[in-house]
Parts: sequence; structure tokens; C-alpha cells
Amino acid sequence: MAATESPITARAFFERVRAGQLTALKCGSCGELAIPPRQLCPACHAKAWQPVDLRGEGMIASFTIIRVAPRAHAGDAPYALAVVKLREGVSILGRLVDIPLEKVSVGLPVRFRPLVIGNQPTVGFGPS
Amino acid sequence: MRRVAVIGVGVTKFGLHDRTSAELFAEAAQDALTDAGVPATAVQALYYGNVVGGETEHQLHTGPQAASVLGIPSVPTTRFETACASSHAAFRHAVMEIAAGVSDVVLVGGAERVLNVSTAESTEYFAYASDAVWEQPLGLTFPGVFALIARAHMEKYGTTEAQMAAVAVKNHRHGALNPKAQFQKQITIDQVLRSAYVADPLKLYDCCPFSDGGAALVLASEEVARRHRKPVWVLGSAAASDWMLLGDKRDLSRVPATERAAAAAYRQAGVGPRDVDVVELHDCFTIAEIVATEGLGLFEPGAGGRAAEAGRTSLGGEIPVNPSGGLKAKGHPIGATGAAQIAEIVTQIRGEAGPRQVDGAKTGLTHTLGGNTATVLVSLFGRD
Repeated sequence: MAATESPITARAFFERVRAGQLTALKCGSCGELAIPPRQLCPACHAKAWQPVDLRGEGMIASFTIIRVAPRAHAGDAPYALAVVKLREGVSILGRLVDIPLEKVSVGLPVRFRPLVIGNQPTVGFGPS
Repeated sequence: MRRVAVIGVGVTKFGLHDRTSAELFAEAAQDALTDAGVPATAVQALYYGNVVGGETEHQLHTGPQAASVLGIPSVPTTRFETACASSHAAFRHAVMEIAAGVSDVVLVGGAERVLNVSTAESTEYFAYASDAVWEQPLGLTFPGVFALIARAHMEKYGTTEAQMAAVAVKNHRHGALNPKAQFQKQITIDQVLRSAYVADPLKLYDCCPFSDGGAALVLASEEVARRHRKPVWVLGSAAASDWMLLGDKRDLSRVPATERAAAAAYRQAGVGPRDVDVVELHDCFTIAEIVATEGLGLFEPGAGGRAAEAGRTSLGGEIPVNPSGGLKAKGHPIGATGAAQIAEIVTQIRGEAGPRQVDGAKTGLTHTLGGNTATVLVSLFGRD
């Protein structure tokens, strides 16, 4: 494999998101899991990644409700963002959907939901 | 390695200015050179911090531009961008240039102008310091980053919104003693708690303001510094980085880059947190001050909120934090902040801080955090 190649690029990750699948990389050398894609394993520095499908189930590790938004998202405010710890052990930031803002709490189980914000596929989480 | 001292400091008033960032830097730089008692012709290099010049002023190449506006166009000049820690990163590299024997007198500084654009625009530009592929498309903001840290800290340690409010009240009380501060008025816990949520659990008064301003420092080798009336020695200066993405940070209630940079700076200086008399740290949000006091070893993890509430970090307390008013009240022109924090610590160690002077301050620490906690610099200062 050429030095610049990765088994999954950011573009490929988000194409899979659009198709409804959350993907991680698993290190073939030490078993470390990672999202998003990166070139070297941060645990053992090997380059032996294989893409693995995640179940998309997790729980909220922390959250916030954005009330003052950047210009491109002003029409969506208020909206909730959460760092979600997935069952497999990796975490990722996502937009919460279909959960009333007052019901959002740390520890709440959530499930991956593909989202498109401004034409761009991105990571969402909804009720489990 | 040669010893390095700060021999001159200059800071503009922070707040709204009708001047370019380069002009703000040039004002601070002239004050710093006057303070140092060295002519501009003695300056052998400029290390400069500026962050959103490209966005708010349509100005890149801000290093030589600032040098030109000051009137020293021929010195080697480099602009540093490590988000809000930019001029502290510039400082560290200037220290290394002198320590290595390359130069004897180096100018360090930074400036920022953001109040010429709307809050919606500056909120967007500051968010550029988070990841453009993975986080910006979700509508993440900087208050949002620290709100996620705050929520994690509250869950893990029971930190309260009232404890965070105590940081804001304390820093406004200090800022009221600083004629350069953007906000020179005291506020109450109630005012903080009743202010509108920006990114829950952070409210308007938990957040530092957008600011224009500039700051500058004159650094010198020991040989030059010995001729100065009150050299303040650089005892240590260290940088650390961490993952960019929030999802990659294993424990959102801590900032590992602060812990790593502090450990390295303490090791260089041969001192520990108990030896520090005064601290200027990065309180871009109230929770950031609480987490920083823990990461710097001033308090145990989880104890920072209670310590703030009990007044332990106030002027007159056991370890005064942000006597200048901090980013919260003094203001946060992001490219200038690191240099301005160092200017305050130098002023404190010289014993020249007037009504906000920490009695007998001999050893001081500055801590500057870049963006989403992925960059931290910590430096330590002392006198003979």
C-alpha cells in the first residue's frame, strides 16, 4: 500500500454515513479502534487498518445545546450536540435529532442516524 | 543554553478599536521597547501571533506586515498560528532563538481585530479552529466545545454553575483594578446565573468577550538583560498538543495538553505548583479556568470549582489566578492573549501591578490554551 493510502478516507466514511453505516478502523496489529480514519495507529504506530462496521449504538458522554450558532447553522438553533461513546468503545461528536432538548442527559442511550446538513452527510444520533 | 529574560512589556487597552491589528501591535511594541530601554534598531527578530487576520482584515502575511507598520521591516519575522495560544507559541520560539545564541534581542507580540465584524461572523471564524470535516459541519462553536467539557466536569465531579459563576465574578473583580481591561466593572453571581445560555451549561457571563488589542514583549539574552533595571527570567517554557477531535479525547473533564506542558515547564524550571505565587491562565470560559487550575496542579482534579467558590484563587487568596481580570474581563484578542498574559506576570514579578499587585510575587506562571484544547503552552518566570 502506498504511504498516502488508507483503507478508508474521510470521503469514503461519509459516503458510508449517507448509506446509513457508521464505520471505524481496526488496527490489524494491536486491535486499536479509531474513528475518524488516520494513517498510523496511535497505539502501536503500525499501518494495518481494516474497516469495521459499527453497530451505531451508544450513550451520551457529554452534550450541549447550541443557542448562538455559526452563520451557516443559525436557522437550526437551538440544537443539541453530543459526544457519544459507542458500544465498541470509540467516541464521536454528532448532532442529536428527534430527542426533545429537555430530555437530553448524560448516559442517555442513542442510536446512529445519518444526517445531511447543508448537502453534506454528517453524523447524527436519535433515540435508541 | 543561555538564560533569557523579559526586559520590556507593552499592552494596548483591550476592547473596541478603530485601528488595524498591525497598528495595535505597533502601539504595544513601542511601549515594550520604551519599557526595555532599547532602540528598535536593536531588535534582531520578530515572532508574531495573529489568528483570524485573513478572515476579519483580509490580511495574510501578518508578520512582515506588522513589522513594516512598526518600522522594522528588515528583521526576520514569523507569524505563529496556534489559535488562541499563538503569541505564547511565538514567545516560546523567541526564547529558544535567544537561548540557542542566535540573537540577543527579540521582539515578541501579537494582535487581533474582530470587533469590525458581526458576532455571527466571528463565531464562525473562531470555529475554524475546530475540525472542518468532522466538527464544523455539525454547527460546533467554541462555547460549545467548552460546554461539552463543562458538562463532563459537572457529571464527574459535581461542579456547579454557581462555582463557574464564581470564576466570572472573581475575574471581573480583578478586571475592575486593571485600566487596560475591556470590562472594568464588578458583577454578581446572580447576574451570571441569570444571563442567557449561549451553549448550555455556559451562559453569556461564563464567556470571555470578543476583543481587539495588541501586546508585545522584549526578550533579551542574559548579557543584555543584566543592564536592565528589572529583568524577569524565563525559568521554563513548554508546549504540548492533543487530539483535535472531541471524540478522540478520552476524558473531556481534563485537558491532557495542559498537564503535559505544565509537567515539562515545571521540570525545566526546577519548581512545582506549590512554588508559584501568581498565575495568568486561559479562562476563555469559566470552566476553562477551573480545569486549568487542576491541570496545572494547583488543585486536585475535581477540586477547582470548590476552590474558586471558596476564594482560594482571588487576589488575597492562597494562589491568585488572573489578577489582570483574565480573558473574561481583561478581554481576549486571541493573537495577543499569550503575550498579554506574560506582560501581566512580568509586571507582577516586578512589583509594579498597583492595586492588583500580588504581595511578594516572586514566581509566576502563564498558561495559554489553543482552540479545542489541542494546543497548550505553559511558561514560568522568576526574578533574581
